[in-house]
Amino acid sequence: MAELGLIGGAKGRAGGLRRNGGARTLKRLARRFATSIVTLLAITLLVFVVLRTLPADPVAMLMPGNATEADMERVRALLGLDRSVLAQYAIWLGDALKGDFGRSIQHNTPVRVLIADALPVTLQIVTLSVGLGIFLGFSGGLLAFTWRGTPVEAGIEMGNGLAMAVPDFLWGIILILAVGVGLQWLPFIGLQSPSVTVPDITGFVLIDALLAGDPSAFLDVLRHLALPVFAIAMGLAPTVMRVFRSGLMEAYTEDYIASARLRGQSERQVLLRHGLKNAVIPTITLIGVQASMLFGGTLLIETIFGLPGIGAMMVTAIGGHDLPAIQALTFCYAVLVLATTIAVDVICLALDPRLRIKDQS
Amino acid sequence: MTDWTEVLRDWRVGLGGLLLLVLMGVALAAPWLAPHDPNAQDLLWVLLPPSWAPGGDPAYLLGTDTLGRDVLSRLIWATRSAAYVAVLSTIGAAVLGITLALIAGYAGGVLDWIIMRAVELLLSFPAVVFALVLIAALGPGLENVIIAVIAVDWTRFARVLRSEVRQIKGRDYVAAARLMGATPLQVVLQDVLPNIMPSILMLVSLEMGGAVVAETIISFVSASAEADVPTWGVIIADGLSDIYATPAPVIAAVSSIVVFVLATILFSDGLRRRTDPRQIERRGAAA
Repeated sequence: MAELGLIGGAKGRAGGLRRNGGARTLKRLARRFATSIVTLLAITLLVFVVLRTLPADPVAMLMPGNATEADMERVRALLGLDRSVLAQYAIWLGDALKGDFGRSIQHNTPVRVLIADALPVTLQIVTLSVGLGIFLGFSGGLLAFTWRGTPVEAGIEMGNGLAMAVPDFLWGIILILAVGVGLQWLPFIGLQSPSVTVPDITGFVLIDALLAGDPSAFLDVLRHLALPVFAIAMGLAPTVMRVFRSGLMEAYTEDYIASARLRGQSERQVLLRHGLKNAVIPTITLIGVQASMLFGGTLLIETIFGLPGIGAMMVTAIGGHDLPAIQALTFCYAVLVLATTIAVDVICLALDPRLRIKDQS
Repeated sequence: MTDWTEVLRDWRVGLGGLLLLVLMGVALAAPWLAPHDPNAQDLLWVLLPPSWAPGGDPAYLLGTDTLGRDVLSRLIWATRSAAYVAVLSTIGAAVLGITLALIAGYAGGVLDWIIMRAVELLLSFPAVVFALVLIAALGPGLENVIIAVIAVDWTRFARVLRSEVRQIKGRDYVAAARLMGATPLQVVLQDVLPNIMPSILMLVSLEMGGAVVAETIISFVSASAEADVPTWGVIIADGLSDIYATPAPVIAAVSSIVVFVLATILFSDGLRRRTDPRQIERRGAAA
């Protein structure tokens, strides 16, 4: 529910910023929000139907091998599995709206509790990765742009092309090989060293370590997160760089750059005030487009690096055919992706007045 | 219209195409190329380093794994699995995606709305998650991986091609063909399809890389194939647990995937540069 609060708050702010067309912008966001809810329902229904109608039988997976047909029938009736898929979905949805996602078959714990424990891990990884990915992409893009037409640009372009051919989970494995096993600089298993304990205050280990006033624990967690975060960031950075650089090149063909130069602004001022601002917006849009890939990437990275986030939880749930957990986690992923796209929309509307005008046509 | 000889002269298309041909060749010739049976265990010779390293055996060029299986042979057979998944799932995703793009873009209306909502639905959700959910329901096996990849990746074709079809539909030559009494099917086959061919080839090339990555991911986390079918993902997963003993299998498998994906990216990138009118114009202006 934290995501929903965030969207509501940001929406209010964006609405407040508008002088004209504010109501329209608000309406557009409201419509966006409504379609997201419909999408969310459709996704959960789709996953529900896939999990229930395909060959694998959840009851057979639940029961020991020597269960009789009568036992199976009883369990089926007990779980409501003898009713139609739509009726089952209605029951699931009703419970889900009340915050009840059922019990995990593997852990015999409410799925909600498991997700609440795992989600902060994933959110920390994603936030840090997006930050680092944007930083790397911007640095590369700026370097290539300032040195355009030189071998430096060609070199960066080539590196970028190579980096693009490596998906984020392979970055993870390459980093384990090079930095973890080869150089032995950084740990690559788990969230913290066994000797380190962090009190559970917010669930976000990094924040908790700071709140507890334990800088060595903070550093330890940061060292554990370095490789996985770098891996996801490397999956994002090449695309960010490409979009950011073409945004810069596009901005520099516009009249306002020439006019800023005519007004006697230095190249540095032109870049900072006009070039960057206009190149940043397509990059932020890109984050929205890549959101589903980004969250998908955590699945593998968490598994490879042994991090207890929702991605690793999903992989275990799929391995153990833990249907309530799979169902709840897909819902969770959909919420994360949709919330990110809406947040990106809001940020772009706030940053770019042109979008608000275009809205009216 | 596209000048194909010009396209083939591009070094990216050439190199990418060559690498893809080599990989496909390895995949086809796997039974004759592999020096050993990829599943034959030799427990006397486990975790051998590559042959050039101290303690290596020339009979096992890239060494052996925990069960004493020849890494090179497993790699070659894994190339076959990868090519199998790449080719079949790309054909499936392309046929499904192109058909739906033509229907949505050309017919418009309700069909367009339904198809595009389905595309949006699948895109608003991590593809890996949906593919893994499908595998959980379908069970392991390369054929099921192919089904899962098709179910997820047809959207890539549909989204890009549908907007191109819509643009082409508005052109004069389509209007002319319709005035001359061509049926929608004739227009689509004779006027629309040839014009979206460059984009189709580009998407097909990228999809092959995407499918290989998807297969690796699925086989890495949840045994995509039967235990006796080597895949790059399985080699990486097995290799990671013996990473301190011998990193060779992991390095070899990772390199193979990167080469495959790089080849598909090069190929499609070169194709785009040679066939996208805007890119050609820009180069013409620069010259």
